[in-house]
Amino acid sequence: MRKLVNLVLVSVMAITIAGCSSSSSSGRTLKVFNWGEYADMDVIYAFEDEYDCDVVYETYDSNESMYTKLLGGNSYDIMVPSEYMIQRLIKEDLITTIDWSYITNADSLDSSILNQDFDPNNDYWVPYFCGNVGILYDTTKVDESDLADGWEILRNTTYKGNIYMYDSERDSFMVALKALGYSMNTTDESEIEEAYNWLVDQRNTMDPTYATDDVIDAMMNSEKAMAVIYSGDAAAVMAENEDMAFYMPEEGTNYWFDGFVVSKDCEDVELAYEFINYMISDENALSNTLAVGYLTANVNAAQEASETDFAGISAYAIRIDENDEVFNYQDQETKELFSEYWTKVKAS
Amino acid sequence: MRQYRKLVTPYCLWLFVLTVIPMLLILFYAITAKGTEITTFEFTLENFFKFFDPIFISVLIKSLILGIITTLICFLIGYPVAYMIAKCKEPTQNILILLITIPTWINLLMRIYAWSSILSNNGLINTFLNFLGFESISMMYTDFAVIIGMVYCFLPFMILPIHTSLTSMDPSLVEASMDLGASRVQSFFKVTFPLSLSGVLTGIIMVFLPAISEFVIPKMLGGGQYSLIGNFIENQFITVGNWHFGSAVSMILAVIVIIMMACLYRIEKRTNISSDDEGR
Repeated sequence: MRKLVNLVLVSVMAITIAGCSSSSSSGRTLKVFNWGEYADMDVIYAFEDEYDCDVVYETYDSNESMYTKLLGGNSYDIMVPSEYMIQRLIKEDLITTIDWSYITNADSLDSSILNQDFDPNNDYWVPYFCGNVGILYDTTKVDESDLADGWEILRNTTYKGNIYMYDSERDSFMVALKALGYSMNTTDESEIEEAYNWLVDQRNTMDPTYATDDVIDAMMNSEKAMAVIYSGDAAAVMAENEDMAFYMPEEGTNYWFDGFVVSKDCEDVELAYEFINYMISDENALSNTLAVGYLTANVNAAQEASETDFAGISAYAIRIDENDEVFNYQDQETKELFSEYWTKVKAS
Repeated sequence: MRQYRKLVTPYCLWLFVLTVIPMLLILFYAITAKGTEITTFEFTLENFFKFFDPIFISVLIKSLILGIITTLICFLIGYPVAYMIAKCKEPTQNILILLITIPTWINLLMRIYAWSSILSNNGLINTFLNFLGFESISMMYTDFAVIIGMVYCFLPFMILPIHTSLTSMDPSLVEASMDLGASRVQSFFKVTFPLSLSGVLTGIIMVFLPAISEFVIPKMLGGGQYSLIGNFIENQFITVGNWHFGSAVSMILAVIVIIMMACLYRIEKRTNISSDDEGR
């Protein structure tokens, strides 16, 4: 989903939407800042018509670039960050609490991802999509008995030059830390260093390609044997290419969720709530999940999608086992340590 | 003339707001670090020292080498093309120049995307090779792919200035050299090429500078492991969020670029003088 090109396309689209609808509106506007290709645009047009307002829709390709843009002085009403970025926004007092009385569709939300430690009463965010990180593999190229190695399969030299790693420091370190049996939220410097050495060793012995969204098209075309991938992207690939299968190692993995948050700058809070409520209704959540391919947090819509379009696709689900964790917000020091190591992994 | 001089004021203002202030901001970020709770920043040169790590230096050297290779290939392809265009009749020239500039009307990302589907394992070239019965070659995520992308994007910036300098040349000079007994090859190397050097140097500057700081092409055709100085800076700003270090690296790059431009400028001056001398 997070493709640069799509970003451009959607931005162009957003400008067009803004241009077209400005003539008809009553003057209410809502500035939504979402991931690229992360909603069914028809749902958003319908919202504009129904509530007689303008939705100024912009997109980003990473939590960090969203945050950078926000700090750069851009103001948005609604954003859709991931859990660790929500934590950060709460800590830095950039988002406001949500009045759940407006969110009448809340009953159909998946309760297992609500009320996380960082926000025990779920005051700040409304879940939208969720999933895991796992390995997508080509059943014609990968010997299934090798999967018993868990994440270590990514250092199995049989597949040298034949794997995609996810080009993000969090996801790569998650893989290395889990492979070593540590928590992905460790702050222990020796564990982090070990993970760094794991990644350097992998880079030297396996010659992996670090990519983000290119992986989706590439795996649809069976370019490589394996890819570290988000479950939603995996579902999209599996729907197109039946040789592909999805696997999550026993050592545990990351489960994540993206949710709607309302910024402190938001002027028309009521409209913001209406928008969020609209996006997660059974019907619209279904349109969104079918368009995007990620698992929706609306259980009814998820149920229906998994029985129809995503029938038989194992990646269209979320696993929350004992060893699976969400990312925690990292303090500046830990963050810099990770990023310095990651820069070195990539530059070496 | 004097009464028009004031017209330059808006331009100066524009330049100040859009070039000078951002440069000063980068400088400011480069020499500061995030401070404590009390002071929001503190002055330091640590950001610069931090860069002198063998791994980071190797990233810089790799970028410079890639820039030089790109510039060289652009020159080797661009000069003959510009020369041939300059030899055509004027209406043909206009059409050819238009053809060269047309690709730049399309967004860079789109064009690079097209290359990635041409070069990929199951892409156009490999499909064709398979059709002819050859094995597929893996081209994506290699130096080869990145250089193709870079040369493709920057070639027009080499051709156009060379073409301009070739067409603005007085053809009677070549005629004169032939009259004096020089062969075609001799008069090209003694007359035409030296006189087009200013175009060549402009072309080199216009290709080399963007080439060393390019980050989109290496990212899309070279993959995330293809770390060049431009990617490095982008990463510091977007992902890491360390604007201070990112700014310091930008400053280092800017200094290198300024030194190189100064050298090129000198060469250009010298060649102009010597060709003037020969002219006398």
